Amino acid sequence: MIRLSWLQFRTQAVTAAAALAAFAVLLAVTGPHLASRYAASGLSSCHGGNCGTAVHTFLSQLAVTSPYPIVYLLGIALVLIAPAIIGIFWGAPLIARELETRTFALAWNQSITRTRWLAVKLTLTGLAAMAVTEALSLMYGWWVDPIGKAINLGTTGDLANPFAGGRFSSLIFATGGITPLGYAAFAFTLGTAAGALIRRTVPAMALTLVIFAAVQVAMPLWVRPHLIPPDRTIAMIGPVPGDDQAVGLDYGNLTAISVPGQPGAWIISSGAISAAGQQISALPFACAGYGAKAQDPGQCLTSQGYREAISYEPASRYWPLQWIETGIFLGLALGLAGSCFWRLNRRRS
Amino acid sequence: MSTVIETSGLGKAYRRTWALRDCTLAIPEGHVVGLVGPNGAGKTTLLRLATGQLTPTRGTISVLGARPAASPAQLARVGFVEQDTPVYARLRVADHLRLGAWLNPGWDGELAQRRIGQLGLDPRQRAGSLSGGQRAQLALTLALAKRPELLLLDEPVASLDPLARRDFLRGLMEAVAEHATSVVLSSHLIADLERVCDYLIVLVASQVRIAGEVSALLAVHRRLSGPRRDPGTLPAGQDVIEESHTDKQSTLLVRTGLVRTGGPVHDPAWTVTPVSLEELVLAYLNPANDIPARRPRLGVAS
Repeated sequence: MIRLSWLQFRTQAVTAAAALAAFAVLLAVTGPHLASRYAASGLSSCHGGNCGTAVHTFLSQLAVTSPYPIVYLLGIALVLIAPAIIGIFWGAPLIARELETRTFALAWNQSITRTRWLAVKLTLTGLAAMAVTEALSLMYGWWVDPIGKAINLGTTGDLANPFAGGRFSSLIFATGGITPLGYAAFAFTLGTAAGALIRRTVPAMALTLVIFAAVQVAMPLWVRPHLIPPDRTIAMIGPVPGDDQAVGLDYGNLTAISVPGQPGAWIISSGAISAAGQQISALPFACAGYGAKAQDPGQCLTSQGYREAISYEPASRYWPLQWIETGIFLGLALGLAGSCFWRLNRRRS
Repeated sequence: MSTVIETSGLGKAYRRTWALRDCTLAIPEGHVVGLVGPNGAGKTTLLRLATGQLTPTRGTISVLGARPAASPAQLARVGFVEQDTPVYARLRVADHLRLGAWLNPGWDGELAQRRIGQLGLDPRQRAGSLSGGQRAQLALTLALAKRPELLLLDEPVASLDPLARRDFLRGLMEAVAEHATSVVLSSHLIADLERVCDYLIVLVASQVRIAGEVSALLAVHRRLSGPRRDPGTLPAGQDVIEESHTDKQSTLLVRTGLVRTGGPVHDPAWTVTPVSLEELVLAYLNPANDIPARRPRLGVAS
C-alpha cells in the first residue's frame, strides 16, 4: 500500500520538491548578503540606547534595497500559504477524486481494507505535508534571522515597511518554530475530510480554502492571546524609546511599544489610565502639544498622573505558546483524520 | 451445495428511497450467474452490498460464508469489476499490474502478463488513453489475476461496442473455465447473458422475480398458442406468466409444475413451443405481468 500511495503521490511530491528547491536557491543567493549587511551594521555589538538607532538605520536601508523586502514578504507568504495549498491540492482530492472517478471501487476491492488504505495514504501524505511546510519555515528562518534579531533589539517608532514585527507578531508567529507542522497537518486533514464529506474535488477545495483562511485569521486575532493568560503590569510612562523603568508610547493611540524590564515581550493590549483608573484613548488636550509650548507628551502624561496598563506575554512564553498552538492544530488534524475513517467505514456508497 | 451469495430480507435505503428491498436469494457456487433487471431495479445495489461497498439497511448478506469486505482475506476471495470499469487514468497499464501485485497476496502475475500480452496492450500506455474496451479488459485482468473465488461484474459490457463486448465476454469465459471461478454478472443485454450465463436471476423493482438455472428455467416454461380462451381454464399446476389475446387466438407463456420434455400436452388444440431465454426474461421483466407467488427455486440451495 505504501508503494501504491507513492505511485499516486509521485507527481505532487516532485512538484513540491521543485518548489522547495527553487525557494532554497533564492534564499541561498540572497541570504549571505543579508547576513553580511547585518554584520556590517554593528548591531551584534550594540547595547542600550545605541541599538534603537542602529536597528532603525539597518531596517530602513534594507527596506529600500532590492530584493530583501520582496524575499522577506515572499517567505512569510509562502510559509503561511503552503498549508493551504497542500490542503487544497493534496488533501481535498485524496478521497474525493477516488469517489469522483469511481476508482475507489478498484482500490477498495484489492485485498486490503479501506481503513488500511486510508491510514497509509493519510500518514504518508500527511507527513510529507508537514515536512515540506516545516522545511520552508526552517529555510526562511535561516534567511530572516538577521532581520529578526534586529527587530528583537527594539527600535524607535514604527518599523520600516514591510517588516511586520517581532516573532510574536500575528504574521510572523505562525511562520516560525513548530507551528508550521500543526498548520500543515490541519490543512491537509481538513482538505481530506472536506473531500470525504462533499465527495467532489473542486467544492472540497473551495471549502478547504475558506475554512483554513478563516482559521488562519481567527487564530492570531481571537485565540492566540488567550492561550496563556497574559501578565499585567502598570508602568510609568517615559520618553521614547523608553528604558527599563518606564514605557515608551505610540502617542497616536497611547499603546505601549515595549514592556519595561521585559525585552521581546508580546504586548497583547495596552492603554493609558488616569490616576482614577479611567482609560483614555487619545492624548488629553493638555498634552496634545497644540499651541506654542512644546512638551514631551510622555512627561506631560506622567505629570498628569497617567500610567500605562499593559497586558503581555513575556518573551519566555514563545515556546510554550508554540507548543500549545501546534498541539491544538495537531489535535484538530487527528479529529479530522478520524472523521475520514468514520465516513469511509460507516456511510459507505 | 454451498452458496456464493446468500441474502435474507436484504434491504438498502438511500435516505427514504429503497434501492433494494426484502431481497432473499441464495446463489449456488460454480455458476456464471446473470443478474437481469431494468435500470433502477437494484442490481448495482445488490452487487455493492456483496462487495461491502455498501452496508445493508435491513437484513443480512453473506458472501462465501462471511460478511463482505470484513477482512483482507475476505477481500482477497472476491473480485469486482465496477460499472464503466474505472481505472487510474494517470497510471500506466504496468502500474495497474504492479498495484495488483502489491495489494493482493494471491496475485497471479503470470496470468496478468499473459492477458495483457494477448490483448495487445502496451504496458507503458497510460490507462486514461485506453479505449473503453481496453479499459474494461484491464479492469477484468486486475480482478482475474487476484484469483478470486467469486467474481462480481456490474454491467461490465454496457458501454462497449459489440466487438469489444464479445472479446470481453470471451476473455471472461476462458478465465472462468480455467480457474473454476463463480461469477455474478449484471446486465440488461439479454443476448450477452444468453451467451455466458448458466444461471439467471431476474430482479424487478428490487424484488427477485425468478432465480434458477437457465436450463431448468427453459425446461419448465412453454409458450402455448391456440384458439382464444380464458387462461383461468388451464389445468392446475400451470401458472400463466404472460398472456396476449387477439380476437381469435390466445398466446400464453406458462410455467409448468413438472418438467415435461416437448410434445403436445394438455389439450390438442394448443400448440406448445419452447421459449427462448430472451422471451422468458422479457416476460418476467414486464412489470405488467403479475407473477404467481409460487416461485420455482430450481437449483437453489435452501
